[in-house]
Amino acid sequence: MELLDFYADWCGPCQMLKPTIEEFEKAHPEIKVTSVNIDEEEELAEKYGVSSIPCLVVLKDGEEVKREVGVMPLKKLEKFVGV
Amino acid sequence: MKEYDIVIVGAGIAGLTAAIYGVRAGKTVLVLEAQVEGGQIINTINIENWPGNMRVTGVELIRKIKAQAEELGAEIDYVNVEKIVKTKDGFEIFGDMDEKFKAKSVILAMGTDPRKLSDEMMKDAGKRPVSYCATCDGALYKGKKVVVVGHGNSAEHEIKYLKGICSEVYNIHHDEKIPEDAEAVFVAIGRIPATECAKEIVEIDARGYIVAGEDCHTSCTGVFVAGDCRTKDLRQLVTASSDGAVAAMEAVKYLA
Repeated sequence: MELLDFYADWCGPCQMLKPTIEEFEKAHPEIKVTSVNIDEEEELAEKYGVSSIPCLVVLKDGEEVKREVGVMPLKKLEKFVGV
Repeated sequence: MKEYDIVIVGAGIAGLTAAIYGVRAGKTVLVLEAQVEGGQIINTINIENWPGNMRVTGVELIRKIKAQAEELGAEIDYVNVEKIVKTKDGFEIFGDMDEKFKAKSVILAMGTDPRKLSDEMMKDAGKRPVSYCATCDGALYKGKKVVVVGHGNSAEHEIKYLKGICSEVYNIHHDEKIPEDAEAVFVAIGRIPATECAKEIVEIDARGYIVAGEDCHTSCTGVFVAGDCRTKDLRQLVTASSDGAVAAMEAVKYLA
């Protein structure tokens, strides 16, 4: 499983979510977490049709299984990813 | 289960100021936040009306205030409060993931959420993205045509911001048709108080605000309200902070 975190530096909610993403990474080393700066990786943001950030996408075998837009605390993030 | 002197619902400016005043008065304080501390202010990148800190960002400001509250001894937990119940000697607070807390007094500081676009307009928007935060999502529409729905101060603010990024920024009322060539819809049609969890315990007015005067006393003894979810004229960072101080000191008086 993989978690994509689409963010941008100017986005306040994205900055607020960052520590939660880092905590998640530490607590769940089995899940690959990739943070995508939508300014630097426009193509990837376009590929996934990201229209609002922060945007979290869960991939299973490379396929998107769910996504969520907005900030959430660690417990909710874990529930969302399903760990 | 630990019982707190004061449980504060909401970790925006109002809630965190209340926490600072509560712990400084020697009380045990727990702040419960549904998402992330800061509330509305984390979407603002350039604050010019918080005295002493010109052009601070919302994120920077709230991080400092949170650190200050924690250093002074306040606890913060991330819980979406669903219900508050009055018991014979205090209050029980329930979260949406089966959490439960006990408190001798409660301060309600849930703030407001953006008012959502009507179903009809959502249909009109179709597959086009709908955003409630221009500073978050504006840059996704660099050089493109977008529309802002709404005519208030915050809509004006969004328009000004988007004009620096997008090729065209249309502006319509909440009952007008979305221009066909707009690629994204930005919504700024006011805010609604996030008072659902308190509706069984305190008086709420027709617009959803918790009824209280400048003393922050609600209709329920032992429950106080601070910030944007209170009935008042001016909703600003400093008035939210001011409410936090008043509500905390009234709670301290109540606990004495």
